[in-house]
Amino acid sequence: MTAFTRRAAGLALVAALTLGASFGSVERASAQTPMSSAEITKQLSEVTQFDPSLTAQVLQNMAQRAVQANQPLPLDQSEIAKRLSKLAQIDVQIQFALNSAVIRPQSYGALGSIADAMHHPILWNYRFLVVGNTDTTGTRAVNLALSQKRAEAIKEALVNLGKVDPARLDAVGLGQEALEVPSKPTDPINRRVEIFTIGTMQAMPKPLQ
Amino acid sequence: MKRHIFGLAALALVVSAGGASAQTMSFADAGDLIAKACGASIERFCARDDIGTGKVASCLEQNKKDVPAQCFSALQAAEAGTAARLAAQKATFGLCQDDARQFCKGVKPGDANLLDCLLASSKVVSNACRQGLANAGWAN
Repeated sequence: MTAFTRRAAGLALVAALTLGASFGSVERASAQTPMSSAEITKQLSEVTQFDPSLTAQVLQNMAQRAVQANQPLPLDQSEIAKRLSKLAQIDVQIQFALNSAVIRPQSYGALGSIADAMHHPILWNYRFLVVGNTDTTGTRAVNLALSQKRAEAIKEALVNLGKVDPARLDAVGLGQEALEVPSKPTDPINRRVEIFTIGTMQAMPKPLQ
Repeated sequence: MKRHIFGLAALALVVSAGGASAQTMSFADAGDLIAKACGASIERFCARDDIGTGKVASCLEQNKKDVPAQCFSALQAAEAGTAARLAAQKATFGLCQDDARQFCKGVKPGDANLLDCLLASSKVVSNACRQGLANAGWAN
């Protein structure tokens, strides 16, 4: 993380967050191969420039105001979006039960990979923001609430099962307010969970003498 | 007779799970293991319970008679293996302290710099350090 390397646009894995409708068996090595913890570690440790004013609370307030006013939230053009895009980030594939925040078993391994990455020394001292997003299917208010619950469910699982320090994680749902592909608002590609590296926990230790 | 065979199978599972717990396990492998051994039961009996809350484990327990025994041994192995992994991660830099002083002088800790140095020196570091790195899941 010492080198200031901006992520290439193509680096962010854009993976659809599939809402599980079928209860059939799911091939793990299908088109949606989950990222390994090594890939997650690499991508989340890419950028060192943080944005201290960009908090879960700020983002949540923005999304809530937009939904209440029934105004579009042009996050793609906004300053916030530009700032978010500069942070090290990953898109993760977590499958939830339909219209619920229950994480389906086939995603336990993917969650574990995220926990492994967060326990790696390269990420030890860092804090993360878990952001849930939906597409525009359904109502805005419901989508906002559901995405918040899903982001919180991921944080809860990372903390209680993955033993990640809760102080290192924030969770926020943005509903359909931050579409990945605004020109295709109902495309499932917009349903996704993003994890951003947002800061450090404490000053780095001194060199060995 | 049938029950006897089942008992033996269960015993074999417990023994193999016990053996596995001596090893450390990544959270990814633990998640995969639980999904494989318990996934069908979880979706059948505990579909409304979120895994992060701990309710899934108690739900499986409540439906014990219908849940395969290997699910419970998988849960045990995952718990023991990941706990061992975390303990190993905590212990590793202590085990590698002398090696770090010898081979990584001037390296600024943080951002895995120390780990990178230890891994780059893996041929010369002590066995305890090398084993510690492996148990922590950080060896190459």
